[in-house]
Amino acid sequence: MTAPKRITIKATRFDPDKDEKPRLQSYEIPFGDESMVVLDALNYIKGHVDGSLSYRWSCRMGICGSCGMMVDGVPKLTCNAFLRDYWPRPITVEPLNNFPVIRDLVIDMGDFMEKLKSIKPWIIRKQPVPLGGGAFVQTTAQIDEFRQFSQCINCMLCYAACPVYGLNDEFLGPAAIALARRYNLDSRDEGVGRRLPVIADPEGVWECSFVGECSVVCPKGVDPAKAIQQTKLDTTMRFVLPFGNRD
Amino acid sequence: MVPPPHGGRLGGEAGTREFGWSMPRGWWTRRPHYFWYIVREFTSLPLALWLLWLLVEIRRAQDGPTGYHPHSSLGFVIFSVIVLLFALYHSVTFLSLAGAILHFNVADRPIPSQLIVLSQFGAWAAASAVVGFVLIYFGRT
Repeated sequence: MTAPKRITIKATRFDPDKDEKPRLQSYEIPFGDESMVVLDALNYIKGHVDGSLSYRWSCRMGICGSCGMMVDGVPKLTCNAFLRDYWPRPITVEPLNNFPVIRDLVIDMGDFMEKLKSIKPWIIRKQPVPLGGGAFVQTTAQIDEFRQFSQCINCMLCYAACPVYGLNDEFLGPAAIALARRYNLDSRDEGVGRRLPVIADPEGVWECSFVGECSVVCPKGVDPAKAIQQTKLDTTMRFVLPFGNRD
Repeated sequence: MVPPPHGGRLGGEAGTREFGWSMPRGWWTRRPHYFWYIVREFTSLPLALWLLWLLVEIRRAQDGPTGYHPHSSLGFVIFSVIVLLFALYHSVTFLSLAGAILHFNVADRPIPSQLIVLSQFGAWAAASAVVGFVLIYFGRT
């Protein structure tokens, strides 16, 4: 009987109470199942080799957006990064770029959460509609206007891929702007004017220089770069055209 | 192998300390997409220099044929050819992105992005033809 294949995982370790800076630690683990993903490898390490390894994960199926990490330098959902695509080379797993590291592979997502909140990601009505007022009726065409931008799972891979955010963390960032566009395009929403001060700010859409990597790494095909460029055009039209600032 | 990216520093007090992010030098060499983005941005710099020189030439042309001596050294011709290549690269990359920027609906149906890109290249070709015609036709002596 042949020995099972093995693969080396190099994972970032960082204990804020002991370490001055993050370091890579190698773990060699069995790779017997072709369907194994990087998250499975991390779970194996935590369960059988080193229980102190810290990382975020939840659903294992590309829905929750929790397990985003740098896999060989590329932002990926580790539940969707198959070991077979890397074997026999070792795989380097690091915390998402562009964010402070709390411990090991866990980043501080506080800045992202604040930015998400700042664009008011909910339906805003000028006059509240009472619960008994009936349903907001939307056609399929109206839903198609924003459907793509509503697929975001807040995994922050786009922020990790964005060098503009890496150089200036004041930038509102891809996912927040894509979500703002999702609500601005929603026929039920009347909150464009309230989101405008944030998204049309110099640190909003105008900070983006269209690198486009955010759309490349998005695991849900959201295309935040498209959302940002279209928002630039919209905000310009609102400024230039007569009556452009109407809501 | 990608080297560890973190060149940041520790912040906060013990127990709540984080290792802050710092963009590594040469970040744009780490992925081809980043590299070509920087190339795209860089091409505008020699283009701007060439256009500055064109402004100087136009200012000189105000003095009439006697004061107008366009630069024609071999070095400047080579520089102009390089700038032309940069301008073409910048234009092609810029116009190729038009499909992501422009968003039109006709009869409640979005126009395909490929059609938008094609229309941009068509407009570019038409504008170049008009400029070429004006330069050649009115430049005859």
